[in-house]
Amino acid sequence: MAVTAKPLSGPAAGLSERDDPGEHLMLDPRPRGEMNSLVMESMHATSWRFWAVTALLVLVVAVCLVAAWGYLIANGLGVSGANRPSYWEMFLVNTVFWIGIAHAGTFVSALLRVLKVEFRRPFTRAAELMTAFALINVGLSVFMHLGRVWLFYWLIPYPNERGLWPNFHSPLAWDFLAISTYLVASTMYLILPLIPDVAMARDRSTGWRKLLYRILAVGFRGTESEWVHLKTAMNIFAFTVLPIMFTVSTIVSWDFAMASNRPGWSSSIFGPYFVVGAVHSGIGAVVMVLYVIRKTMKSMNYFIRIEHFDALGKLMLVMSILWAYFFFNDYMVPWYGGDAFAKALQKFIESGPLSWILFTVVLCNAVIPWLTLWNKKIRRFPGALFVIGLLINVGMWFERYMIIPLSLTINRMPFTWRIYVPKVEIPLTVGTIALFILLYMVASRLIPLVPVWEVQEGQMMHSLRKVGKAMATSTTEIE
Amino acid sequence: MAETITLLALFEDLEPAAEGIERLHTLGLADEQINVISGIPVMERILGRPKQHSKIPLLALAGAVGGAGLGLFFAYGTPLLFPVYVGGQGLLPVPPAIIVVTELALLGLLVFTFLGVFFESYLPAYGPLDYVPGISDGKIAVLFSCPAGERKKFVEALTASGAESVKPAEAQKL
Repeated sequence: MAVTAKPLSGPAAGLSERDDPGEHLMLDPRPRGEMNSLVMESMHATSWRFWAVTALLVLVVAVCLVAAWGYLIANGLGVSGANRPSYWEMFLVNTVFWIGIAHAGTFVSALLRVLKVEFRRPFTRAAELMTAFALINVGLSVFMHLGRVWLFYWLIPYPNERGLWPNFHSPLAWDFLAISTYLVASTMYLILPLIPDVAMARDRSTGWRKLLYRILAVGFRGTESEWVHLKTAMNIFAFTVLPIMFTVSTIVSWDFAMASNRPGWSSSIFGPYFVVGAVHSGIGAVVMVLYVIRKTMKSMNYFIRIEHFDALGKLMLVMSILWAYFFFNDYMVPWYGGDAFAKALQKFIESGPLSWILFTVVLCNAVIPWLTLWNKKIRRFPGALFVIGLLINVGMWFERYMIIPLSLTINRMPFTWRIYVPKVEIPLTVGTIALFILLYMVASRLIPLVPVWEVQEGQMMHSLRKVGKAMATSTTEIE
Repeated sequence: MAETITLLALFEDLEPAAEGIERLHTLGLADEQINVISGIPVMERILGRPKQHSKIPLLALAGAVGGAGLGLFFAYGTPLLFPVYVGGQGLLPVPPAIIVVTELALLGLLVFTFLGVFFESYLPAYGPLDYVPGISDGKIAVLFSCPAGERKKFVEALTASGAESVKPAEAQKL
């Protein structure tokens, strides 16, 4: 067979369930041509359900995003719930939420690549796609929040007749730079490892697909120099995208933390708190996406296996514990500090009319993951991981809601205290979620979701060898 | 000058490909006359090939320097061009400048890295190229130039080392 790790002996060789090659993708190699066929098949196979869901999503996007946003632009921010004192509303909750989802791709693709964690191989592209589409939603949410969208160009630094530059001393200008950098970097990081797979699709396609893949493959053949340059660039990207990931979340948190002396916001822990929260929700989203891909796309259960859910489940538990640490920190310090307005805010969050939000946040982000993810049987049940990932994302969305509009409710002027009630923000939020899913569904049928060359590279590096009376997985460093 | 011909040998696996390349060396071909095309990145020493170097790290460094320069202009140049004193801060504070310079340096680094891949690999290349689609299905192609009169000797040597086929390379539109 062509450049494949040799098939390994099966259970007859005295392997336990843990050592069974069929359990592990890296120990279950198939001929490259067969893997290519599986991926191409998953792109081409579309059932009536796919088209029905796509049509529904297009309708939701048209109504809840396009029409609702048009209504907002035409009538101004007065049709939203933004009002004194909660001038920052659900649009910014969505902005921070989608940045969190975007962190999934970077974490899975870049950090796990840097640490040479092999289980990342089949789903790096699925995660990177999440980053790209989530960042589109970040941009949309920020523009919605702007109100006068047509003036967004004021944030672009160029010499102009107004005689004004953006204020680079402001966290909002750093935001623009950080999110733009993250979007450009993530898009390039998605494109680079995609090129060899698009070249494969080019070789196996006809008609309009062949033309599309021919353009996207840019003539890539797989010569030695092409691979060297590609791998070198991917290593640079993997290392560099990580500090960008950290700076984006940190700078977004500084939009709040640098508001001087505001109850609930002036906290030096916001930087790492937001980073950890973002990764926490991101991993939950990756698990959800992988579950849907495995369940709905043909042949994906060869690439995405129970072992991946098991590994991601452990990561989810670790991030949940980390998140709880930062959440407690953020709570404990103002509680102990005794500032009257900070304490009033905490009382409002704990026992006010919206106290169910705090309950939801703690339940979804900490209690449920801690009660479930320690259990191997639950981690190895993809449906359960999907539900837990969904609950984590619900919890993290409400955590941002707690931080932004709820915290704005209680400020140092009690005569302004007023509970924020979202209006047009609700359909717009639904619209952004529908857009994300729609973009993902379209992309899943246009580009190979699994980086087959990376999977095969990993399979070549793995083998089983006898150590004493047991068979152990052995990984060869061939880089 | 002796006429040369470009041949493309197709191998199923790494070991016969490595042996085939060794035979080409034995028959007098230099490394520069041989090129390997594969569907996965194969480390040079696996096939007995010389180490390849990339200028992409240098390009990345240049991009980082350029980005940092742009960041310095935004952080310090723009307030000097049109001074606006904000919130009690100095006109040229250091911490915000660190943030702006870092972000733009990272952006410059990555943009130049990305462009460097295409620049160094001479991509995009949409003209006819020596290639067979079986490469993306896992086969290894060894592309080499040899004197036309010695073609039979090379074909026999590579076939003996396990080549599936050894044919004249046909440039085709990918």
